[in-house]
Amino acid sequence: MKEWFLPFLIGTATGVLSSWGVGGGTLLLLCMTLFLGVDQAEAQGINLLYFLPAAAVSLPAHRRNGYLDMDVLRAAAPIGTLCALAASLLSLSIDISIFRIPFGLFLLYSGALNLAPRKGLRRYRTSIAKSIHHEK
Amino acid sequence: MSRTPLWTSARTARALKNSAEPARSSASPPKGGDAFSYRVAGAAAGIINGLFGGGGGIALLTLLTGRGKLDEKKAFATCVATILPLCAVSAAAYFLRGGFPIAHALPYLAGGLLGGLLGGKLFREVPNLWLRRIFALFLLYGAYRYLT
Repeated sequence: MKEWFLPFLIGTATGVLSSWGVGGGTLLLLCMTLFLGVDQAEAQGINLLYFLPAAAVSLPAHRRNGYLDMDVLRAAAPIGTLCALAASLLSLSIDISIFRIPFGLFLLYSGALNLAPRKGLRRYRTSIAKSIHHEK
Repeated sequence: MSRTPLWTSARTARALKNSAEPARSSASPPKGGDAFSYRVAGAAAGIINGLFGGGGGIALLTLLTGRGKLDEKKAFATCVATILPLCAVSAAAYFLRGGFPIAHALPYLAGGLLGGLLGGKLFREVPNLWLRRIFALFLLYGAYRYLT
């Protein structure tokens, strides 16, 4: 029971974050390897598989609430899938460790940007946008 | 009645007026420039996802929100939808390399299913600031993992 229940509970919590697109998979990976003693390679496989149902079942609600931009989806998903396929095949034959540093720096930059947004400017822009919207 | 501040330049006011209009109908095609930047974002996400087995959503989200074209919440949700087929490809590649530990994965999959349903329902109520903060923490942790 305990063997099944704890993974289920963690999967549920991280599934919520995954459906919001805020990195539930990474948290799951962390929990599996640090607290549940799952082997790193196995944890990566579980992580990949787990995202599919977690994301798929949240999409009808996102669509109902008008949060899916179909223009972006139609433009980005097909080419993204093709590139993912090509890069997956490429990763089998090249040493991907050379990409780690640039990608890490990109993550650091994006993280810092998201953690310290330009609040004043954002609020100012939002207030103007709202005022224009109300005038209509 | 609220008014547009007088000090807003005509250009800014025009841009904001456009951004305050309701979202474009999905039936209308995106402008050439928009479609191109979405394709670039999708391609970047696909390459990162394919190489690292994940993380493509970060590039997609950064590109979609960074240029200020998409509302944050819409960007997060659209990102989940766009990444789904990319992750299916990565999962297939992983499967071809050595198979899945399906039996061990089942409780996580069931949890993910329930969590996804709950997340979809709760998403509307979550403040954008929370989403951004949680995402930032995840990014910084990722940076730590890749840089050390």
